[in-house]
This record gives sequence, structure tokens and C-alpha cells, in this order.
Amino acid sequence: MNPVEFSHAVLISRVAPGQWHALEDDLVVGRGEASRRPDGRMFVSIDAWHGAAFDRLAEAMLAALPRPLHTVVDEADPDLTAQWQRAGFTTRQREREYTVPTDPRATGLDSALPPPGVTIKAFGSAEEAPLRALDRTIRDQVEAGPGWQDMPAEVLPLPGLDPSKYAVAAQSGQYVGLLRVATVTRLPRIGLIAVRADRQRRGIARALLAHLLGALHHIGKETASAEVTESNVAATALFEGVGAWRTGSNLELVLR
Amino acid sequence: MARTSNGIELEGTVLECLRNATFRVELQNGHKVLAHISGKIRKNYIKILPYDRVLVELSPYDLTRGRIIFRYRS
Repeated sequence: MNPVEFSHAVLISRVAPGQWHALEDDLVVGRGEASRRPDGRMFVSIDAWHGAAFDRLAEAMLAALPRPLHTVVDEADPDLTAQWQRAGFTTRQREREYTVPTDPRATGLDSALPPPGVTIKAFGSAEEAPLRALDRTIRDQVEAGPGWQDMPAEVLPLPGLDPSKYAVAAQSGQYVGLLRVATVTRLPRIGLIAVRADRQRRGIARALLAHLLGALHHIGKETASAEVTESNVAATALFEGVGAWRTGSNLELVLR
Repeated sequence: MARTSNGIELEGTVLECLRNATFRVELQNGHKVLAHISGKIRKNYIKILPYDRVLVELSPYDLTRGRIIFRYRS
């Protein structure tokens, strides 16, 4: 592909589908990337060593890509936020990052019991077929309601479903709620808590969270992390109600 | 055209998360740099914590600054 020359001696080259480089004196001074999430939205990112390279990359990418385009910035990074705003992006939503304590003395969950008739199946003990059926039911309910675009990226459909990462709530022989956790690094991450629409507001999510945090505390993990979309009042109340504290926030920006 | 060099990349360990979305990273050669997270890492919601082992691309303009482009799993 042929590079396009701009002023400031920055050349922009599309080096592969969805990938751009900014070159200055044979040096890569910026990279841009575009990729689609499972929900179909296109997200872009630009890493540049100076503002001119960012602006040139943004100009080339925005001219080549269909709208709407999305990106994510740390709210504590005003420079990067301003660069995207200069390119026309505006804030769509805010995701708060939480650190969640596991000690029952901090969470107040030491005496939390599941609602009557509900049992919690520990990580690794869920059967795959009913778990997959519950996952499908919940995803259908989300798609029929608010849709995925208002959910954090972590709750998007995953290519596989690993029962060892799930705890589930069962009632009357059916799975009615699930919690997925990832432990890729030292800090366990709560990826998804979801309860069937007809079983919500009964304390099932709180019981799942109590089970997870108790299990983590038992193996010596002091905290876990979670992301919550600012507009999700129920999830915010759930986490803040167990003593979780905010550690940061990401802004999703959009160019329509 | 050999213009796609990745610049200088070094492994390091995150020492500290700073408030302005940057991290203090000690490189394998003992140098300490201030690094941002790459957009690709942020897009994928990969969290960076103290003691994480990371790959840092150094700025060609300022070798005390860099960008975290990969977090190792262990």
C-alpha cells in the first residue's frame, strides 16, 4: 500500500487491514489499529509519540473506516482524551473500575445466605449443558432489552464457555444465575454476574458474590476487581454495598 | 520497505501505578521509566498491577518514557 505524505514529515501507511503506521525519518512514531468487538462495534486505538503523529493517524483512519467508531481512554489521561476529542469523538459512557474486598469483616457477607430454595454451586461444579442454556437465556434477555452496547466489554459473548470459571445459582432444578471470574493475574477479576430476568431482585447476585468473595478469602486473595458501567445502578449498589471502592474509570468515546 | 521497526522494546517490572494513567517500570537493565498503557491493551481491558512483568516500547525521543505493549501472564 502506498504511504500518504502529510506536513511535518509524517507519513501514514496502512500496513495491513485495520493497521496503520505513522513514520517520521524512517522511524515508527505512531500506530493505529481498528478491530470489531463481538457485538459488531468497531473500536480504534492510536499510540503516538507526539500529537502531530496522532492527528495524522486519526485523519487517515477516520477517512478509511465506517462510522460509528468507538475507543476507550483512561479518564485520568486528559491528554489522550483531548486528542480524541480533537478528532471529533464525544463521551458515550463511563465504566468505573472497582477493587472489591474479600474479607467478610469488610464485605459484611459472612452471614449472607442464598434466598430460600436457592443453592450455590461452587466453581467447577456446574454442569456444562444447563450452564450453557442459562448463558443463552440471559444473553437473549439482554439482546431483547438494553442490548450489549451498554455493557462493559467483559460481558460480551466469549467463543468458549469454561465451567471451571463459573459459580451458579440453582433453584428448582434450574440454573438461574451465574458469576464468571478470571484469574489470569494475581488479581481475580469478576467478569460477569447475571441473573435470569424472572429471578432478579431476590438476592441471588449477592449470594453469588458472597460465595466468590468467601472462596477467594479462603485461599488468601485479599481483593478482586470488577468494572461497572456508570448507568448500571443495580450493579453499582451491589458492589458498593459490599465495600468495593473505585480505583479508576474508563471513558468510551464515540464518533458518529 | 524496512520501515516497520518496533523501536526499542525491553522487559520490565511494574513498580508503581501513578495517578495520571502512567506506571513506573523498572527495566531489566535497571533503568526506571514512566510508561503509559498502549491503546491495544486498554481496548482489551487488560489490567496492569504492581509486580506485573511487562514489555515496554521506549520512546525514540525520550528514553525515560515508554509504552506498555504487553503484559506477561506470569
